[in-house]
Amino acid sequence: MPEHVKIETLRMLRNKRYAIFVVAFPVGFYLLYANLWGDQVDDTTGLKAGVVLMVSMAAYGALASSMMSTAVPWAQERESGWLRQLQITPLPRWSIVVTKLIVSLLLTLPSLVLVGLAAVLTQGVSLPPGQWAGLVLAMWLGVIPFAALGLTIGSLVRADTAQPLAMICMFGLALLGGLWFPIDMMPSAMKAIAHALPSYDYATIGWNIVAGQAPPASAVLGILGWGAVLAAFALYTYRRATVRA
Amino acid sequence: MSRRRPEVWNCRSAPRASSVEDMDAISFSGVTRTYGDVLAVDGLDLDIPAGRTVALLGPNGAGKSTTINMLLGLLRPTSGEIKVFGDTPSRAVARGRVGAMLQEGSLIPELTVAETVGFVRGLYPDPLPFDEILRMADLTDLAGRRADRLSGGQTQRVRFALAVAGAPRLLVLDEPTAAMDVESRRAFWDSMRTYAARGHTVLFATHYLEEADQNSDRVVVIARGRVVADGTAAEIKAGAGGQAVSFTLGAQPAAGLDALPGVVAVEIASGRAVLRTSDADATVDALYRKTTLDVHGLRIDGADLEDAFLALTQEP
Repeated sequence: MPEHVKIETLRMLRNKRYAIFVVAFPVGFYLLYANLWGDQVDDTTGLKAGVVLMVSMAAYGALASSMMSTAVPWAQERESGWLRQLQITPLPRWSIVVTKLIVSLLLTLPSLVLVGLAAVLTQGVSLPPGQWAGLVLAMWLGVIPFAALGLTIGSLVRADTAQPLAMICMFGLALLGGLWFPIDMMPSAMKAIAHALPSYDYATIGWNIVAGQAPPASAVLGILGWGAVLAAFALYTYRRATVRA
Repeated sequence: MSRRRPEVWNCRSAPRASSVEDMDAISFSGVTRTYGDVLAVDGLDLDIPAGRTVALLGPNGAGKSTTINMLLGLLRPTSGEIKVFGDTPSRAVARGRVGAMLQEGSLIPELTVAETVGFVRGLYPDPLPFDEILRMADLTDLAGRRADRLSGGQTQRVRFALAVAGAPRLLVLDEPTAAMDVESRRAFWDSMRTYAARGHTVLFATHYLEEADQNSDRVVVIARGRVVADGTAAEIKAGAGGQAVSFTLGAQPAAGLDALPGVVAVEIASGRAVLRTSDADATVDALYRKTTLDVHGLRIDGADLEDAFLALTQEP
């Protein structure tokens, strides 16, 4: 499996689309937004926008990465015959999906680290080491539901459908989850939707950590619940997509 | 003619390898596969001893790919049993005993030839040395090239390399040369023979008669999901009733030629008569003794495998 993880990671790092969506977009938007509003201070938490935006853009980057590295490559592999090629080697079936998940997790690290680095270097963001550690860990493991969603899409549809579908899900989750605009600016109906989404739970955990607060139970339970449901979907659709007919 | 000819298996004098290798590499017994109402494979019985190179010859839709996919554990038979070195197909694959080149399959575009081959090689317990794989598939000069910059023929060579990388005891090839030009084909079969010469078992599907004839030591003809002939290419040609007696007819009348002993068909082209016959000796004898024709330029040819193949796979 380590070899499989290695080649899958290599392969994604060489993919231009991945580099643009996952590395250039979140870092670029962070620099832009932080430049415009970075010094504004939130009245209730006393946090500078530069810190809040760091969490939002890191969350967006991780969300994009986890979906981009799963849905389309997986659909393509099923379609192109690469999956069959693997199925006639001694590689066990469970190993293929576990590898996908590990690779997806590994690939979220560049966007988390780079957005963090941009925040420290350009906005002088500083947090206690414990908060940094908690933030990175929570934002890292928190992408599991999105990776599972990406795998589900890749198992269900063909690559040319997976591409727009993953994009819609990714932007929908980012936008409605309050990663691009604070949900306080949204009408109440959209706010209700936002509260139900895993992307909002995911970012909420991050925002609370940088504010020095414990993440609310609703967000933690929300992400765990979504994680369990989407992982079950991912495994079910994976089994269906790879089963011997 | 008889529809199945298992007796021909015993005529061959090639010695069976001893001990462990003595078991059949492949054994199908009563294997049937349906897709909905369509019967793709219909009670297939087939045993292939280890170390042989066998061609699975049949027209499109004969059930070749279904047979191969079942052999590789990618499809389950509807009924019947398949053994690969005494194991179920899935187990044989998991133990690294099988390598295959399927009809379709692209590579990961962002990975180089060396990375792809190295990865697949590493999945097998006892693979071939890396350099040897590249040499055998003629890829040494392309090792650093990314898969998305390979030509179609080069991609096929990489797929062959992936099939042999694990040094599988059984190599399965499903119409491997379908997308190749003449030159690539020749090189491909050379590589395949190099691999087979090490004592490995090779089963390949093809609908090219010549390929079956030239590259296998046994041809299994299947049509409509059943084995319709089984033997060496020469045996199949003979069994399908075919030799051709031809001579220069010139302006002489052709009447009566079709009544000669053994003759099943007469063709006249450019002043030459071609008599298709099931008994060339009797036909030639009668040609000289019982006709007044001036026979010269006589030739006796085996029927080509094409004729045999068409005769065998014709819809009843």
